Amino acid sequence: MSEQNSRLNKADLWTGLVFLVFGLVVFHASWDMPRLENRGVSFYAIPGLVPMALGAGLALCGFLLAVRALRLGAMQKLPAGQDFKALLLDFESVRVLALTALILTYTLILIGWLPYWLATALFVLATIVVFEHVLKDDPIPLKRSLFWAVVQALIVAVVVSLIFERGFLVRLP
Amino acid sequence: MFAFEGLGMLGDGIAHFLNPISLFNVAWATLLGIMIGMMPGLTATMGVALLVTLTYGMPGDQAILTLLCMYVGAIYGGSRSAILLNIPGTPASAATSLDGFVLARQGKAGYAMGLATTSSAIGTVVGIICLAIFSPLLAELAFDFGSYEFFWLATFGVVISGRLTSPDDPLKGYMAGMLGLLVAMVGMESLHGFHRFTFGVPQLSDGVDIIPAMVGAFGLAEILTVMRRRLDTKVLVSNDRVVPYFRDVWRYRRTSVRSGIIGTMVGIIPGVGEDIGSWSSYAAARRASKEKEKFGKGSYEGLTAAETGNSAAVPGALIPVLTLAIPGSTAAAVLIAAMYIHDIRPGPMLMIENPGFLYQVVAILLFTTVAITIYGLSMTKVLVRVLAIPREKLMPVVYVLCVIGPFAIYQRMFDVYVMLFFGIAGFILRELKFPMAPIVLGIILGTLLDQNLRRGLMLTGGDPSPFFTRPISMIICVLTVSAILLSIPGVTRIAKRALQAAMAALRPARSK
Repeated sequence: MSEQNSRLNKADLWTGLVFLVFGLVVFHASWDMPRLENRGVSFYAIPGLVPMALGAGLALCGFLLAVRALRLGAMQKLPAGQDFKALLLDFESVRVLALTALILTYTLILIGWLPYWLATALFVLATIVVFEHVLKDDPIPLKRSLFWAVVQALIVAVVVSLIFERGFLVRLP
Repeated sequence: MFAFEGLGMLGDGIAHFLNPISLFNVAWATLLGIMIGMMPGLTATMGVALLVTLTYGMPGDQAILTLLCMYVGAIYGGSRSAILLNIPGTPASAATSLDGFVLARQGKAGYAMGLATTSSAIGTVVGIICLAIFSPLLAELAFDFGSYEFFWLATFGVVISGRLTSPDDPLKGYMAGMLGLLVAMVGMESLHGFHRFTFGVPQLSDGVDIIPAMVGAFGLAEILTVMRRRLDTKVLVSNDRVVPYFRDVWRYRRTSVRSGIIGTMVGIIPGVGEDIGSWSSYAAARRASKEKEKFGKGSYEGLTAAETGNSAAVPGALIPVLTLAIPGSTAAAVLIAAMYIHDIRPGPMLMIENPGFLYQVVAILLFTTVAITIYGLSMTKVLVRVLAIPREKLMPVVYVLCVIGPFAIYQRMFDVYVMLFFGIAGFILRELKFPMAPIVLGIILGTLLDQNLRRGLMLTGGDPSPFFTRPISMIICVLTVSAILLSIPGVTRIAKRALQAAMAALRPARSK
């Protein structure tokens, strides 16, 4: 079995368990939903009927996924350098984490705190520089990357703001 | 009589859009679609979802025209990067790269792109013919559908989508479908007005809006996937002839028609989009070909089959949209949401309420086919320059649009947070090899399934038998259960053995 498969297998075990618990929680929440008996609603028309079935289905599938992963050797220890810690420190994972951090900062912090155009310009600028200069195998020189990133960031921020504010009459966030 | 009426309405549909504004919209939306389809990481679904937010203020007919042009253009555009980079611009072009990239390495990139253009045009036309013929028939059949049939139809859609979009691991396909259905349960249910899973958040009362969810699952998740890769790719040059010789197009006419029909039929299957249309057509062409050995080594026939198949799936995917309000693909799911935004109600009643709409859709598809043919054969070398845009510069701009697009519809940050949630969750699920299409289908079909199951049971006083005994219900039920059973490895083996035993028992009987 390839290292990617054994890693996916291990991930499947955890995913299966998460879905098992999630499915049971959904089932319980749906079971607890009001039955609306005082309104004369029969059991087969209660609001929780389909969610209950879906919760049970997800729990069953999660259980099957976990069992399958176990049968395929999910409990075997991954060789050193191929475990999840190594995966997290992998260059490609770092790229994803960096982008996620930039995206979350822009969406949850900058928008609403700074004027929309400035928040957008800062996000575009930071993302271009980080991915052109820092997280690249053959980095572009900082000055060149920064110059063109500033130009692009300002153009994008102004054009998008104008199109949505003036063109589509949107009150920008 | 019916045919003449149809032709008359088609004429009206074409005349409706024969004006400068519509033609201008066809021109820019198709071109934008081709460019989006070309760029790896920007898919047709993402393009259509983002464009919904930009066409919000347009009149309904122009908005649908723009979105359809974007859809057709993007599916076609994906062939460019498949041929020149060996990376399909959209998943629909994965089969195209098998022969297209080999042809490009042989110095025939231009010719491969030309052949992809004519094949896409032929595929779309075959699909359009099927759309015009089958939609009214299916709509007529759908008039006999009651709650029982609609329940099974919704269930079948989610099951078959889960089965076919995750052929190696159907279990994950089904789980994805159930997750989508569960998302659809959020909000106020329509039978008793009860709020389910809203956790006191007022914005969740109307349920999870499909557009922000799709922009997240197909926009943000795709951005993260594209930006993760560390290697940049090299674009192959194309300096050869682009316009295909008529003899090559004519030589593979059977392959084209067969692939067109297969692509359309796959498109009709709920939630099973252009990528499977392309692979199925490719596999069928290979089986039927006299030059099997050339497939994968730069076969014109393979390229023709793949491109005809994926393009034909687009009109195919619109057949269930217009007649049953069930999406044939993920992009078609966005189209359904867009139709509701513009007060067009897809489903069996559409043919009664707005009988000309089907032929307007046919007319739009014809216009965009002409547009992709013109762009594809005349601007090949210019369009290739789009591939040179570095992803580091492009993706931040796409994310800015992913944020402002969903925000623009209702002007509330809540939709942006929905997009963010679905984007990150979608990325994680993709990494864990869960398919996205069943989730989307679940979100779209959840209400239909829930309402019709409970309504059907209420009508019969709790007796479930009509779900299994009414003829159409029974057929869809058997198909759904068979799809699930046959995805269980043990059952497949038993079924195969039983089939072999039955064949063996029949053989001596025949020989006697």
